[in-house]
Amino acid sequence: MNNIKYFAGIDIGSLFSKVVIIDEKSNIKAYSVLQSGAVYKGAAETAMNNTLAKAGLSMGDISYIISTGYGRARVPFADSQVTEISCHGRGANFVFPEVRTIIDIGGQDSKVIEVNKEGKAVKFAMNDKCAAGTGRFLEVMAVSLGVDLGEMSTLAEKSKTDVEISSMCTVFAESEVISLFAQGTEKADIALGVYRSIARRVTGLFGQVGKKEKVAMTGGVAKSKGMVEALEKSIKTTLMVPEEPQIMGALGAALIAREKFAQA
Amino acid sequence: MSKHKTNRLKTTKLIGPMVDKHWADLRTAKKRGEMVAWCSGPMFIFPYAMGMKCHFMAGYAAYAGGRGAADDLLKIAESEGDMLDTCSYHKAHMGMAMAIKKGIPVREDVILPMPDLLITGRLCTEMSHYAEGLYRRMDINVVGIDTPPPVNESLIPNLEKYCEDQVRGSLIPRVEEICGKSFDYDRLIEIMAILKETCILRNECWEYFKKIPSPWTLWDYGVSIAPVFYMMGSPDAVPYYTQLRDELAERAEKGIGAIEPEKYRVYWDGWLPWGFLGQFSRKMTDLGIVPLVGRYPWEFFPHPETIDLNGDPIKEFVKQVYSNGGLAKQNLPNMSLPSIQKWVEEYSLDGLIMFSSKSCRMWNLGHPDFIKAIEKKHNIPGVVIEGDMVDSRMNSFGQIDTRLEALAEMMAARKK
Repeated sequence: MNNIKYFAGIDIGSLFSKVVIIDEKSNIKAYSVLQSGAVYKGAAETAMNNTLAKAGLSMGDISYIISTGYGRARVPFADSQVTEISCHGRGANFVFPEVRTIIDIGGQDSKVIEVNKEGKAVKFAMNDKCAAGTGRFLEVMAVSLGVDLGEMSTLAEKSKTDVEISSMCTVFAESEVISLFAQGTEKADIALGVYRSIARRVTGLFGQVGKKEKVAMTGGVAKSKGMVEALEKSIKTTLMVPEEPQIMGALGAALIAREKFAQA
Repeated sequence: MSKHKTNRLKTTKLIGPMVDKHWADLRTAKKRGEMVAWCSGPMFIFPYAMGMKCHFMAGYAAYAGGRGAADDLLKIAESEGDMLDTCSYHKAHMGMAMAIKKGIPVREDVILPMPDLLITGRLCTEMSHYAEGLYRRMDINVVGIDTPPPVNESLIPNLEKYCEDQVRGSLIPRVEEICGKSFDYDRLIEIMAILKETCILRNECWEYFKKIPSPWTLWDYGVSIAPVFYMMGSPDAVPYYTQLRDELAERAEKGIGAIEPEKYRVYWDGWLPWGFLGQFSRKMTDLGIVPLVGRYPWEFFPHPETIDLNGDPIKEFVKQVYSNGGLAKQNLPNMSLPSIQKWVEEYSLDGLIMFSSKSCRMWNLGHPDFIKAIEKKHNIPGVVIEGDMVDSRMNSFGQIDTRLEALAEMMAARKK
């Protein structure tokens, strides 16, 4: 009989669903990242089953589950819900204990979070309702450029000229990109301009929270080297990026699940 | 299933019929041969003293929003050329005016008679647009009264004099001309006496926000605001607040909270979300968050004891806008931060909510600064929530929920 206790965090984002299963010593047993699709409940079940299979576990082996992300209320098998703000803070601080500020650019929003030494969120600022400055914005821009997100980063490295792209509205920015094409602007310059546009938005949020070293970046967008570099330049700080930045919210949720189970 | 429940006050159930009667009287005023004034600031007390039926801008927008009619009015205003992010109070009026002018069908209970006089209290630039728009489209008599917010205390005497001169020099003569009679100073003093008594009672009620648990919430005060403002001088005002005070005293005595169990006590900055009080209330109740005080609801005659009924009534009233009041003073961050800091201690607050209206820039000034300053001094967290007073398109409850829950998590982390 398996006496080890396991805990799961499930982060249902607007674009991707992420699940992390940890054991009682907080070691990551397995994780998954799958596209969310339109039905959050289905996405949660698929991602959970996928991760359980990877870990060689069944649902009965999981002692406590916390859901987070925009679809957190649509996870019927979760024991409780915690916001992605607390979860990203906890996850990043677990991976980098010296981190006090976290920048998370998710599909639907971007946020800057200050955490205390226990990784608990004490302050945050989020983008307003416009998608400019978010992962969705980046996706739309990549489609306009006719590249995927990985190619966009490689492309931006070849930029030689600065191009300004509006950070006020995703739709306006898309129109700008089309106009820039029409003017013969290089794709590489546009790609870097898009990163700088997002960096400008996030820098405003960063200023609201205030810089507390060290600073980490989480979320799927942190996989983009061009984005990280543009942001580092804009906020004048080196960013610590976890090996798998996209699962930090789910990891934080799993860590909080372990804590809640212990308190119960 | 929420662990928290709301205990509704008996007295606040009386306000709906009072407010409905006020607007119904206004709707039918012209048919009775009465004259009507629309006002965007506190200066409506002057036409009111002359027997004109008075409408108050924010009160109307809140009323229309509460009845679910705001979206239709805003749509009409935008189709007539108003921009999406223009003040939604202004647009609600433009929508109504254009609905009348062009015969566009909207709910009958949000249609008011076109005014004989529009008094625009120009506290912000939108008020100028409001006056200009109605004047241009409906050819309405307009008197603009500038009430600029003071940057510091030293400017107040001059601004007060400026305001007083406008009332004496242009508003009162215009009202006299329209009404065809001399200004009724006795009635003005009578209204101010009722206002003073009502606001003193209101302040006694406000003291109960200090009780733990609090027997009422800021939403309860929000729905009770009409008798201390756009229904000032109403014979119903004093009995209403007397009953409210007595009910709060009884609750406090018995230790009954408005939300039970009370978990977090928060400050609310900016406009109240009139059209969405129920949605905010349900979410905050689920989290055990009790909204208690705010500078916007406090701006209505906070120091009624200073009203000298034997003094010059115009001077006394203008003082309530400036030196003895909050109406103009509370709008600038440096003038209101000391009050908010004091309230954090007086009302044992755990957190701050800055309601940032997408269509009102003035009330959003300083939100991040407030959070930073108060967090530094009092170690309580704050959050900015974007939305609008009446425009449903500006309120995204998915995002609002996340921010409120995150605030609750941060307050929990600090309480431990």
